[in-house]
Amino acid sequence: MSRIGSSHKPRNFKRNLEAYAYLAPAGIILLVFWCAPAVFSVFVSFTNWHGGDALADVKWVGLENYRMAFRDQRFFKTLWNTVNYVIWSVPLTLILSLSVALLLTLKIRGMALFRTAFFLPYVTTWVAVSILWSYIFQQNFGLANCFLEFLDKHLHLGVGPLKWLNEPRGVIEMAATWMGQRLGLLSGDQIVDFKHPLLEGPSLAMFSIIITSVWRDTGYFMLIFIAGLNEIDPTYYEAAEIDGAGPWTRFRHITLPLLSPVTFFLLVVAMIGAFKVYVPMMIMTPGGGPSGTTSTLVYFLYEEGFMSWRLGYASAIAYVLFVIILAMTLLQNKVIGGKVHYE
Amino acid sequence: MSICTLTLLVVLFLDLLCWVWVAARGIRRRSWKALGHTAAYHGLGAATIMMVLPFYWMVATSLKDFESANRPVPTWLPLGTKYFAPPPPAKPEEVSTPRPGAISAAANRSAGPRGSAAQGPTAAREIEVGLIRAGNLTWSEIRRKDSVVVAPVKRLQDQSAYYTAKGSDIRRERRPQWRNYVEAWNAPAKGNPENPVTFTRYFWVSGVTSLLTTLGTLITSILAAYAFAKMRFRGRNLLFYLVLATMMVPGQVLLIPNFLILSALPDYSFGLRWLDNYPALVVPWLASVFGIFMLRQFFRGIPDELWDAAQIDGAGRFRYLWQVMLPLSKPAVITLALFAFLGEWNSLLWPLIVTTSPDMRTLMVGLQTFNEEMSGNSHLLMAAATIAVLPVVLLFFALQRFFVAGLSRTGFK
Repeated sequence: MSRIGSSHKPRNFKRNLEAYAYLAPAGIILLVFWCAPAVFSVFVSFTNWHGGDALADVKWVGLENYRMAFRDQRFFKTLWNTVNYVIWSVPLTLILSLSVALLLTLKIRGMALFRTAFFLPYVTTWVAVSILWSYIFQQNFGLANCFLEFLDKHLHLGVGPLKWLNEPRGVIEMAATWMGQRLGLLSGDQIVDFKHPLLEGPSLAMFSIIITSVWRDTGYFMLIFIAGLNEIDPTYYEAAEIDGAGPWTRFRHITLPLLSPVTFFLLVVAMIGAFKVYVPMMIMTPGGGPSGTTSTLVYFLYEEGFMSWRLGYASAIAYVLFVIILAMTLLQNKVIGGKVHYE
Repeated sequence: MSICTLTLLVVLFLDLLCWVWVAARGIRRRSWKALGHTAAYHGLGAATIMMVLPFYWMVATSLKDFESANRPVPTWLPLGTKYFAPPPPAKPEEVSTPRPGAISAAANRSAGPRGSAAQGPTAAREIEVGLIRAGNLTWSEIRRKDSVVVAPVKRLQDQSAYYTAKGSDIRRERRPQWRNYVEAWNAPAKGNPENPVTFTRYFWVSGVTSLLTTLGTLITSILAAYAFAKMRFRGRNLLFYLVLATMMVPGQVLLIPNFLILSALPDYSFGLRWLDNYPALVVPWLASVFGIFMLRQFFRGIPDELWDAAQIDGAGRFRYLWQVMLPLSKPAVITLALFAFLGEWNSLLWPLIVTTSPDMRTLMVGLQTFNEEMSGNSHLLMAAATIAVLPVVLLFFALQRFFVAGLSRTGFK
């Protein structure tokens, strides 16, 4: 017995070594450029590290950077902008992509063509997409205003040309103003002013970016929804049809519950992705947009870190972002995860 | 009635006929499925138009010239502005370079009687340029000016006006302006003559970094995923959880420390210049947590009997991986390659941070700076955007199958 045991050990050791050799290339990169920086970043966020400083000048300031962030009006503004972006773009994208996916799972001809058309925006790069849409939203000769003009001419909706990417007013406020004027509650140049950021909604500039992101991301979510819909066993539908269930009942009581794991996964992915958004803001509304209403957390981080070179402060912001994303993932797992229907 | 309206009416009429036919057939057969499908087609068709229209607009604008790209009333066709054959200018001194902002003076001149036709074209040019440059005008103001000022301009143009573009003698015509692409491609070089980079350089840098990253990611991920999936060793679960935990850390947290680490490296450490060079763009992205995770899932699905058989045939682990596992997991490997390539190709923030010289701009950084430098030249911007989008779209069409498979795979498991 003991002989077998002793002969076992060196082989174990050799086997371990072989496995570690396989892991080494990825492991070294992950260790040096992912794990170590993640820890180092905590350290940086506790210092007053400034761009070109010599290492000797770097001082330990403790929680000062975090304290500064929670006193910084701009930080809260960017946080609120980001939250606005998330709570508008994510549901819009999910609802739109689910409706398209439902239409595309009807057995109809030419489905591949439609699917490609919807997915195409997602493969194009954010930079090019942003340049394209900032031309569309151009306020003097853009396509968006041309479209509004056309609608106004034929349907008399009273929605004049808008300033789109240069408009700091909130969309809910603007919609309320428009409704008020249509119903005759407001005279010509009176506008609704809620005077509170919670009620204003995202600025029209931000909303333009939300439209852009919905346009770009719908295809991706649609594809995963289609994959999820194809997984659902068709016998459920057949049984429901025999029982006389209409399309809405079938959707409500079969599709929606059975699709909930996919929806939940997409919700988490979309929210995490939306919290990290910065490219369209950087290109479509450089410098934070009208009255700073389109500056997001990552953009703020970039500005603070690599334009003002306050690396310590920027690291603190990065960590706040990390904590928010982590908390959201855990919260969603706890709150919605319990209600998700797994087969 | 314009030709566009007419086409639209004809299409709508044919569509109505289609509805009536489908409905009639549905009534006869007592089945409403076809009617539902027709409605679905309409919804999908409308949505598809909304999806594709921006692309059409991008390509169409890239083939216009400055004037037709910046018209208050958009033109749908990808054509330059119409100018007719030239009568020689009456007074040569009138053909001067336009002064932006000289709207009122120019407007006064051309709004005058028809006798001003000889000096009209220059004035027309001035008005248009002036209007466009006056970016602070609101839409309705431009519209008002359009009726007052631009209308006589159009009439002047129709009276066989003569047009010179900014004093040069290039005559624009009503046809697609393919030269926009050449102009956009070479435009970045104009800004700094001592270091003339063009889109050729951007593509080169992006191509090299993306290919190297893809290759490196494939190698590291395949090896690590194989170890996690098929080998038993001490600390396997612990290490795997560590890798999964790494996936939770958003890349934005790593920007600053990675930048600090790279800038702290002295020049030519490990024999390489790091910042503002390829290593900084490539090396941090040589491993992919997502890749390890995905390939591990795929490898676990391959039965262990194959390994036993390979061992009997005398194959070692590496040979087994290379000759048996990899061919079997081709779809997963190609998907990972695709994602690694696109991730690097599309990344903006990291290249923006670690590169400073125009020489080392990736395509995305190049496009971003081009957008800043060329703002206002929408036709050139759209040409550049088309250039940047085209390779990825071609790649997508070539590998569409793997895109779809890969996305579904990220969705489950």
